[in-house]
Amino acid sequence: MKLLMTASQINGLPVVTVRGGDDVAEVRDVIYNPEAGRLVGLTLNKRGFFSGRRKEVLPAEGIHAIGRDAVMILDDSSLTAPEDAPDDVGHPATERNVIGDDVLTEGGKSLGVVRDLALLVGGAGEVVGYQIEKPAGGHGYIPLPAQLAVSGAALVVPDVTEEFVRDDLVGLGAAVDDFRARLGLA
Amino acid sequence: MSDSFRLATGRKLVSRADAQELGAVTHLLLDAAERRVSAVVVGKGRNAKLVDWAQVNSFGPDAIMVADELALHLPIDDRERAAADGKLEVLGKHALTEGGNEIGTLDDVTFDPRTGAIEMLRVGAREIPAGALLGSGSYAVILDAGQDPTS
Repeated sequence: MKLLMTASQINGLPVVTVRGGDDVAEVRDVIYNPEAGRLVGLTLNKRGFFSGRRKEVLPAEGIHAIGRDAVMILDDSSLTAPEDAPDDVGHPATERNVIGDDVLTEGGKSLGVVRDLALLVGGAGEVVGYQIEKPAGGHGYIPLPAQLAVSGAALVVPDVTEEFVRDDLVGLGAAVDDFRARLGLA
Repeated sequence: MSDSFRLATGRKLVSRADAQELGAVTHLLLDAAERRVSAVVVGKGRNAKLVDWAQVNSFGPDAIMVADELALHLPIDDRERAAADGKLEVLGKHALTEGGNEIGTLDDVTFDPRTGAIEMLRVGAREIPAGALLGSGSYAVILDAGQDPTS
């Protein structure tokens, strides 16, 4: 089952082992590489009432599936110490955080400010769009090309993106394929 | 004739040697990898004991018969301690697919009382064949992707 979720919906999900049926952690945050449009991993909190941060991370390669109700891993050997994880997971650069960035078209028009990531889940998760706060107010969703230029303050998207701004995740789901077809990416 | 985890809960455990009642079933311990009942948990808390499936002479409809009270043992490892604490009781657990989607809670498990082999898992109105079971633990029972919702 493929579905679209925002990063905020993934944060807080339990991380559950397929073989053990145990909730070994919960998602603290999504680590994302904006240049590659790729989810690189998840940071984790401990499970339970007095939960604090867990030092291990979950690289994308170790994710069995992200679903509506849980992130599945085969067993807890998928949880990796930061020093043993790929650099972009173990030591994610803070300037990679696109939340709050201005979305500019190549023509120089602002479509809004990034508020959240939209991920296609079901498998390991692919970032396919952003939730934005429009200049006029209100939220919208934009699809993303496979790669884009990011500075830390702004990101640049093709002009055609403006035609594909949608009101909700369902609309975005339908728009992603059409958008990529227009860009010759599909 | 099949039996079920729900039906077996509360059933008495009786010694064949002296006809003494040794306790009542709290829950059954499921071995998800083997898809069978691995033990019967009797009693609660610090008094909880286990009977390995191999020690069950007859899993009857009204009583579970064992040779004598030596069939019961205190938990000997982490898994058995978790079972004695009730953490591994499967009824009421989340029924999660390996895709990370919850399809309900586990309401009952049917099994063959002669062999202990799991037959079916019931989640709400759905009956799921034992072959779909991938794992079971303190949080959830995990079912294969064939049980994922389609939308």
